[in-house]
Amino acid sequence: MKLSRRSFIKASVATGVIAAGAGGTKPMLQALAENSGKENKQVSEGEWRPTVCQGCTTWCAVQVKVVNGRAVKVRGNPHSKANNHDGKVCPRAHLSLQQVYDPDRIKTPMKRTNPKKGRNEDPQFVPITWDEAIDEIAEKFLELRKNNEPHKFVLMRGRYTYLREILYGAFPKLIGSPNSISHSALCAEAEKFGSYYTEHYWGYRDYDLRNTRYVILWGADPLASNRQVPHAMNVWGEVMDRAKVAVIDPRLSVTAAKADEWLPVIPGEDGALATAMAHVILTEGLWNKSFVGDFVDGVNRFKQGETVDPETFQENLTYGLVRWWNLELKDRTPQWAEQKAGIPAEQIIRVAREFAEAAPKAISWLSPGTSMQVRGGYAAMAAHALNGLVGSVDNVGGTIRSAKYPTQAIPSVEPFMDDIAKAGNKHHKVDQRGYKEFPALKKGKSGKGVVTNRLADAILDEDPYEVKMAIGYWNNFTFSCAGASRWEKALEKLPFFVHITTHPSEMAMFADIVLPAAHHLYERLGYIESKANTISYIAMNQRVIEPVWDVRIDETEIPWMIAEKLAEKGFTNVLDYFKSIKDPETGKTPTNSWEFSEYVLKTMTQPIWDPAIKTEGDQFSGWEEFKKVGIWNSEPYKFRNKWKDFGTKTGKFEFYSETLKAALEHHAEKHNTNVDDIMKVTKYQARGELAFVPHYEEPFRWGDEKEYPFIFVEHRSRLNREARSANCQWYQEFKDVDPGDERWDDVAKINPVDAGKLGLKTGDKIRLKSPTGEIECTAKVWEGVRPGTIVKCYGQGHWAYGRIAAKDFKKRMPRGGNNNELLPADYERLSGSTVRHGGVTRVKVEKL
Amino acid sequence: MPNYAMVIDLHKCAGCGACAIACKNENNVPEGIYWANYIHRTRGKFPNVRYEFIPTLCNHCEEAPCVKACPVGAMHKDENGLTLHDPSKCIGCKACVVADPYGVIYFNEEKPHEFWYDKEEAIEKITSSGQEMGKNYDVPFPYYNPDRAKTYAGVRPKGVVEKCTMCDHRIKEGKVPYCVYSCPSGARVFGDLDDPNSEVNKLLNQYSYFRLGENFGTKPKVFYIREF
Repeated sequence: MKLSRRSFIKASVATGVIAAGAGGTKPMLQALAENSGKENKQVSEGEWRPTVCQGCTTWCAVQVKVVNGRAVKVRGNPHSKANNHDGKVCPRAHLSLQQVYDPDRIKTPMKRTNPKKGRNEDPQFVPITWDEAIDEIAEKFLELRKNNEPHKFVLMRGRYTYLREILYGAFPKLIGSPNSISHSALCAEAEKFGSYYTEHYWGYRDYDLRNTRYVILWGADPLASNRQVPHAMNVWGEVMDRAKVAVIDPRLSVTAAKADEWLPVIPGEDGALATAMAHVILTEGLWNKSFVGDFVDGVNRFKQGETVDPETFQENLTYGLVRWWNLELKDRTPQWAEQKAGIPAEQIIRVAREFAEAAPKAISWLSPGTSMQVRGGYAAMAAHALNGLVGSVDNVGGTIRSAKYPTQAIPSVEPFMDDIAKAGNKHHKVDQRGYKEFPALKKGKSGKGVVTNRLADAILDEDPYEVKMAIGYWNNFTFSCAGASRWEKALEKLPFFVHITTHPSEMAMFADIVLPAAHHLYERLGYIESKANTISYIAMNQRVIEPVWDVRIDETEIPWMIAEKLAEKGFTNVLDYFKSIKDPETGKTPTNSWEFSEYVLKTMTQPIWDPAIKTEGDQFSGWEEFKKVGIWNSEPYKFRNKWKDFGTKTGKFEFYSETLKAALEHHAEKHNTNVDDIMKVTKYQARGELAFVPHYEEPFRWGDEKEYPFIFVEHRSRLNREARSANCQWYQEFKDVDPGDERWDDVAKINPVDAGKLGLKTGDKIRLKSPTGEIECTAKVWEGVRPGTIVKCYGQGHWAYGRIAAKDFKKRMPRGGNNNELLPADYERLSGSTVRHGGVTRVKVEKL
Repeated sequence: MPNYAMVIDLHKCAGCGACAIACKNENNVPEGIYWANYIHRTRGKFPNVRYEFIPTLCNHCEEAPCVKACPVGAMHKDENGLTLHDPSKCIGCKACVVADPYGVIYFNEEKPHEFWYDKEEAIEKITSSGQEMGKNYDVPFPYYNPDRAKTYAGVRPKGVVEKCTMCDHRIKEGKVPYCVYSCPSGARVFGDLDDPNSEVNKLLNQYSYFRLGENFGTKPKVFYIREF
């Protein structure tokens, strides 16, 4: 039978109807027709609509192709000058289609009917209306306030947009709780510690990749994760044509595979490499003389083992070089580092030399891999100090910051806080920040940083006080926090927990009420600030399709609904405050949750879109045009502006950190002790002045080497949408784009030498045990990992995220094992950061 | 008439798989079937290890063994040098699958996208099912791309084969294949092999290249330059 294209389509519509009721195996043509009948109705050009992808912390401006109301594709927003040249995005963005249309999404508010909580308890969730859900939540708030204990409410934030100012910023304060607890310390606070206590910058750095000549990546894998992923992928071919790349990572990442140098460091020994490289740069006279300064007579006195008289050196834009040398660097030879880090001295020398010779167009790139170790804070400082030595800080081809983001704040909540709220807000934040052993020295202040993972212990121990109620949004701490089982216990104990989430999750399973959230890329309003390629940008999350289910925006709509309900019950302050945020164009007061969301967004971004307000960067004729374009780009970064005054205590780039010294001394004073004691309780080895310079610390590891012979290494997946994509088919089907990994599986990678000793082969089912937990997964024998280590990607092991993510959702059987059930809950305490890298635990392997 | 070909620059390739995922998206490719795919291998001994990644797709061979093997003319060469497949002629005999030395032709053993017909709910009445989702949309599945149906079955049914068409539906509209468009590192270049000034020819003149299975006599038209 021969059909022309035209008659073929015609026939398909006709036979489609006939075939509908037929069972069994259909003749080929009929089956073909059945499908075609449905598919040919909607051929249409569609429209690309702007929004934001928050699948990782790059935060790309993207566009969604919408055809007849359906999202069909995602691409980079071509208006972006930072991350998404020519509409490029990384593979993660495509996966989002399988998130928003995932049948396993929560489609309605639900309520737990089984009061018993636990992983093996069926919550017996039943659907309820939004009104019922909000009513119950409002009642709980009123009860806390009636008993003068509103501070016993905790707001847990995971990922966010800048509309966090409502739910995370204003709302708890108006209720009377200081407890807005962010996820930040799970992310990379220890890394920021490195740049802050050298150049006074608490933030992620941008890098001038287009102009660089050498890149040292400290555990970073920019082709797969970290920030500015699409930009890195886009320019990496050119970078490798022009520059050399050295990757320090115990595992062969894809960036390492493509690099000129791979330094498979013994986990946690990065500090040895960084200090040895500094030693080489100084002894060989390769530092940047115009940035750092020089010996007065031009004679290099940096000789191995010899102290230097500070008077002989005239420093320029840096501070404390000679003291750093005398306290730490003089004995940090490459030969010493070889013993510690397991990297040949000659390779350390070569990388240090070539890095310094390429400078100042050289980048020493920090990542969690180096810093998220119990003793990783100083390794981060040491790695970042290399940028200071070669003058690449804030310089062309080097490591830079961001331009200013011209947004404006929402009005103060102060006038709307009643006495109960004011009293509640006076309590210490519940996460134990600022305790003697948790300095959390964000931006130089004791207890300013968050200690996210400590919240579980605070709840369990009722220290500093009991927590009676919590709302969590866009987070999944029961999965994403090291020592995850503590979170299960903490949530079992928590009397009333509300989870706002798109999917069922390990955290939702412990909730009393679950509220379905709008998906950030498709269904909500919001905006983000990010940067790459020397450009800072602001992009808006927009509703590009009608929501798939009856969902609400976590950060604005849900607090509005609670505020309305509270007002109905007599407490009007929250709603009064919300109504004080007007439409900046018309002056209108919001009358519903959507208008409220939009007015907050318009208010905060007004300096960008309002032509009456003068700002740099992209210009817009008004709100409608900004909405249509979806992104504002800054002017290109202005280099060397910080050189005049870095903002440190001395105004210089500090090798001897007076800024850290002041912070540590203040924290010690607060606890009536000295810095040595603080070093001790934070598990650091340094005593005396060593605490104020970047220096080597032995990695801290859980587990005895005899019982737990392997060092555990974890890494990120280039398909992880922050551990929320494992329920996407494409995630599982393409999991082997992470080198060494396997499709539809969760593997522990082991070197063939070790596998041989254990009698393991690829595909064997194994159990990994650490001193604090155990998981099951599959063995993968692979040369890309260092002997003596077990390397495993984070992201699999979900037991409650949906039917694809789990091996058996109904039986709570995970696909593989969650690394966080293996990792102990420990901290880089000076920053408050949770630790997971640098071989923080040892493990043993059992064949099943 | 153009003679279409593709050059993949392995130096630029980041091994991310965006090509393979975007292809599934563009062409409504069901689970387990890969029009675009990749090969990877790890060689050497620690610490001297090399990991290589080679994206793959139908080579649109000039001497296509799959075309020769097809008894009904379903698998055919078009006027632009593409190897295309007509599912309305296909009898599902799989002769092309057997003849294809690259493993890029797939046979639909099952009803495609069965996921979207499944009735199971993760949590009863709280979450949805594939079937319920499917009912809400007038297409085979919610993110179904209707453009694919312009030149080929939008979804290929059980009982026939399917493979990469080099996005012939996009080429006809002056666009590049979606894997080329979606490659974040700009590693893929598409163009006319018979045009001496095309970008593909510029690259092939500038760099040495290799093709998969050079010795098969298939004259593949996917060229690889430089090293991963």
